[in-house]
Amino acid sequence: MMSLTSANMNVVVKRQYLFKLKANIDAFSSLIGIQVIALLFSLGGMGMSGSSSSYFTLTVRSYSADVVLAFTMIWGLVTAITITTRPYRNFDFTFVTNRLTSNLSNVLFLVTASLLGGVTSILSGYLVRVAGYFFLGHTLYSSEMAVGELIIGIIAASLYILTASSIGYLFGTLAQVSKAFIIVIPALLIGFLFLDISFNPMPIQQEIYQFYFIESSFILFLIKILLTTAILFGTSSILFNRMGVRQ
Amino acid sequence: MKVIECTGLTKTYLRKPVLNNLTFSIEENTITGLIGRNGAGKTTLLKILAGFIQETSGKVRVFDDGPFNSLFVSANSIFVDDQMIFPPALQLQEILEVAGSFYPNWDMKLAKGLAKYFDFDPKNYHNRLSKGKTSTFNSIIGLAARCPLTILDEPTTGMDEAVRKDFYRALLKDYLAHPRTIMISSHHLNEIEDLLEDVLLIKDGKKHLHLPISELKEWAIGIKGPTEKVLELTNGEELIYENRIGAGTMYAVVKNNFATLEIEKAGLERTPVRASDLCVYLTNDSRGGIDDVFNQC
Repeated sequence: MMSLTSANMNVVVKRQYLFKLKANIDAFSSLIGIQVIALLFSLGGMGMSGSSSSYFTLTVRSYSADVVLAFTMIWGLVTAITITTRPYRNFDFTFVTNRLTSNLSNVLFLVTASLLGGVTSILSGYLVRVAGYFFLGHTLYSSEMAVGELIIGIIAASLYILTASSIGYLFGTLAQVSKAFIIVIPALLIGFLFLDISFNPMPIQQEIYQFYFIESSFILFLIKILLTTAILFGTSSILFNRMGVRQ
Repeated sequence: MKVIECTGLTKTYLRKPVLNNLTFSIEENTITGLIGRNGAGKTTLLKILAGFIQETSGKVRVFDDGPFNSLFVSANSIFVDDQMIFPPALQLQEILEVAGSFYPNWDMKLAKGLAKYFDFDPKNYHNRLSKGKTSTFNSIIGLAARCPLTILDEPTTGMDEAVRKDFYRALLKDYLAHPRTIMISSHHLNEIEDLLEDVLLIKDGKKHLHLPISELKEWAIGIKGPTEKVLELTNGEELIYENRIGAGTMYAVVKNNFATLEIEKAGLERTPVRASDLCVYLTNDSRGGIDDVFNQC
């Protein structure tokens, strides 16, 4: 008789993760494309101030990786939505899986993608400055960044991208639960932008912004983001756990 | 040991029952043919067994475990059909490698051998394959995975005659060398009847028959002769199929409850009924055939 094999969850998740890195290689090539476009936008400088007298003109431009990071966050959101769509879910079910391992390996994949996105977008900040110096002939006054700050910058950027992907992952999963969410979610988001903005001196959008973006303690920021993403990924996982596949 | 046990299995979609109170069990190391008309619920049943979809009510046990969300069932079973989907970024040889990393009993030598025999370019991509080639490739994965439960849902869709024959032969050879439990659904019972040990016939989501193929071949007989004599002999018996041939002659299929002598005494002709024909007769909704549609027009 053919002996039955017991399945170890960690081993299956690891194999699925490696499989996904290989299978979703297109996501990484689109990351490069998106960051190149963002770099072109960044070349003009983020902020510009100038003064002039009859003898001279002074223009100060500040360069940063902000646009690249914003684009990369959108990329993270879209990538997360993509891997919740039916064909991507079904890739797992061709081989050994259950819904939990499928979700865990998806989260691992998104964490990897976010780290890669974080590293490349922070480093692209240097690329913008160098490009401005060499190709546009700007004189560069760079504020030096210590290695520690660089690492914190990379982690923070990765966390923002991961948050975007966890939001995308939940949206994608909701869209699989019911197609109605494809219309409802964008409608709610657009509505949310205009919500209460004229009546309330401290609208909810501003509070959210302050909660996530204006946080001086790195540890607190880390905890906030990790909790948020855990809740979003967890909700998606619970939703997907009851769903049929390949039907 | 029973590999599959279903008790009162029911699946409804939008209140319409697709599987209706299905109770059966499948023994270890058998090849069972799942036979039924289009829409009888074959694929739904197989997908429930594979853990893809959840039953509405009733009990399903595969390897003594509920298949839905069971990693254990998933590791020990494979579901093959023409809808199997692989990442478009992977070449065929990479797909074989990935499959090998997931399935512990995977036989790479067999997989590569079959892929070579069926003329697959290892650098080709799965989504560029033709319909028949797709089915062939998926079947290679199903065979080489050597899962204790191998589920083949219409594995020969689109395959040409030669490939179908080769595939059945490969399936039988590999089964004999590495016995496992195989469930195969097909419309071509006559092609696979030499392969099968058991037949599970379902009709409208209900179990109609579940018996060894040898018994199915003996299950019914055909009686041919003058109409009155046939009707007289089969009086009270349910006619599984009747066909009036010309004037006054009739062919009827009934359950095999008649002694040959009795039939010969009445001057009638007794013929065996092929298993595939019998399945068509048993699953027909109405006594009449497609001709009636045109006759009414």
